[in-house]
Amino acid sequence: MNTAVSPAASLTESSALRLDQCAKGAEVRVVDLLAQPLFGEQDQHVSLRLKELGFLPGARLKVIGFGLLGRDPLAVQVNGTKFALRRTEAAKVSVELINPESR
Amino acid sequence: MSTSLRFALVGNPNCGKTSLFNRLTGARAKVANYPGVTVERRIGHLGGLARPAELLDLPGTYSLIVTSPDEQVARDVILGNMKGEASPDALVAVVDATNLRLGLRLVLELKELNRPLILALNQVDAARKQGITIDVAGLSQALGIPIVETVAVHSHGADALLKALADFAADQAQAEVVRTPVEHQTVEASYHQIESLMSQFVVRPDASLSWQDRLDNIIMHPVLGLVILFSILLVIFQAVFAWAAPVMDLIDAGTTALAEGAEGVLPEGVLQDFIVNGLIAGVGGVVVFLPQIVILFFFILILEDSGYLTRAAFLLDRPMRGIGLSGRSFIPLLSSFACAVPGIMATRTIQDPLERMIAIMVAPLMTCSARLPVYALIIAAFIPEQTVWGIFNLQGLTLFGLYMAGIISASLVAWMMRRRQTREEYPLLLELPTYRWPMAYHVLLGLRERTWIFLRRVGTIILALSIVLWFLASYPAAPEGATHAAIEYSFAGRLGIWMQPLFAPLGFTWEMCIALIPAMAAREVAVSALATVYAVGGESADAALGYAIGNSWGLPVALAYLAWFVYAPQCIATIAVVRRETNSRAATTFFTVYLFALAYFAAWATYQIAMLWY
Repeated sequence: MNTAVSPAASLTESSALRLDQCAKGAEVRVVDLLAQPLFGEQDQHVSLRLKELGFLPGARLKVIGFGLLGRDPLAVQVNGTKFALRRTEAAKVSVELINPESR
Repeated sequence: MSTSLRFALVGNPNCGKTSLFNRLTGARAKVANYPGVTVERRIGHLGGLARPAELLDLPGTYSLIVTSPDEQVARDVILGNMKGEASPDALVAVVDATNLRLGLRLVLELKELNRPLILALNQVDAARKQGITIDVAGLSQALGIPIVETVAVHSHGADALLKALADFAADQAQAEVVRTPVEHQTVEASYHQIESLMSQFVVRPDASLSWQDRLDNIIMHPVLGLVILFSILLVIFQAVFAWAAPVMDLIDAGTTALAEGAEGVLPEGVLQDFIVNGLIAGVGGVVVFLPQIVILFFFILILEDSGYLTRAAFLLDRPMRGIGLSGRSFIPLLSSFACAVPGIMATRTIQDPLERMIAIMVAPLMTCSARLPVYALIIAAFIPEQTVWGIFNLQGLTLFGLYMAGIISASLVAWMMRRRQTREEYPLLLELPTYRWPMAYHVLLGLRERTWIFLRRVGTIILALSIVLWFLASYPAAPEGATHAAIEYSFAGRLGIWMQPLFAPLGFTWEMCIALIPAMAAREVAVSALATVYAVGGESADAALGYAIGNSWGLPVALAYLAWFVYAPQCIATIAVVRRETNSRAATTFFTVYLFALAYFAAWATYQIAMLWY
């Protein structure tokens, strides 16, 4: 199973926009899934599960809400289904804005 | 090969597997609108097929690469790894038609197992309502899997699936299916295939801001959402007291009339004493709380069916992480308000093993419905019925306070358990299901089920314990020339008096000590035990138990007794389920000891502090 994330694309060194940095209402497209050192050994499993749920390069996402403390977790809509993810998971998703005005 | 065919329902969480299972087998398994209702496999019999057949209902999963104990159950059954169980003869992949991509992805993964597979396209009515059109014949041909459209929540919806299963059974009888190996494909490739299928066979209108999204804007609002959540809980506790009162008065009047009638008809003696003080006082004392339990479950069922609960889990994820739990623990802990046993089983949906252990440890601190009669009895006897701040009922507020005491204590315990260990990160990744109007069918079915469970407990365990207790409280009779009340010479009286010194620092009387013992079997029995003890010991058989304890306890003692019940007498069923789910004797021992210690300390502290004022 190909679950590996390219080593160059670790979230600590990436300068691209990440899902956890998006504002409410932002519509974005997934660019890549990054490594998240906080998840340790199971990071690949988290990447795989994210992909299985539809967070794949090219997928359109919409940020629909945040929790109270530290704007955590996030609610995101992907392919018409809504998911709650924490900032640590959202930071794994590198994205680009579809409509720059909506930010 | 076994003689009966086995079909297994496989699918994403919350796609309607259990509803289909109930329709097909006539079972009454619990269904609700949140992922993770089913955490254990369930077997039912399928009628009307050429061969005897059984249907397995499995916990929902997004993938065969599993991340939590409930998904592991599904995987083990599908792959035939369950001990002593062959893998199912055919898999029925249940796909939510309003959530096709996610469902089809699992279907493609199941297809790679190269096993007979039938696709049940569920909730087609909801999809149609959303304007989604699916070319079922085309999709079926492209996938190479028979597809059956189903609407699990309606009675006619499952017939087509039953017919497909019957056809499969007939085919199986004739020939073995030839299986060709399939190559494994990556998630990317699966989604590529799904996109192509979607563009060919599915037409869906452009998503506009629906009422669902507008509702989420309010309910999932960081501040407003929490205000709404808190208000809902407060309204529930208010309703439990305010709405139930008229019906409870009726039941109470009925019990009293029955007791008086029996006294009139039966000759004075052992039989009259047994009927009036043993049966009517014991059982009637508990039955009176049925309306409150019905109201509590009415609200819980509506919340479960609406899709609101996962939103609450979303809102509470971060606050709960502060105490070492997470939003994933919310629903298991909320279920524990009904009963800790299903609540502890529901912790299987938690991925983090340490979090799961903590959730199990604190689950009994959530006030279960069996404690409601004990609370209600004592509150009604000691707390005046008056209005506070114009809208609140003081009794309802006290009840709310007791529930909060449990929640706050659980928070502290969880926080202390987590503090010692560094936390490994586990993802949340929780699906927020579509809102739906609570179905009257589900709610009524659920209420009937809960009423039946309650009455069955009353009719079996509570009745039996009342009889035993009446006997223990009546025999042996007082000797000639006895100076004390007759009950003090009985077995129960002696036991209570023997236990009393241990509980003296808590202010408990020996009558209260007696009630603690049968409460281990079922907490409600504390009420019927008190009723019997006071009725047997009393000068006149007075059905109004609240009046009796109101006269003899005093407020500090009553508060201490409440505090004891907030923490302890976890019933034996709870201890047994902890043993099974943790599979650890040490954890079970710790669980039992710490809760008893906490109960003793809390009751002691409450009594001592209350005495300073009183």
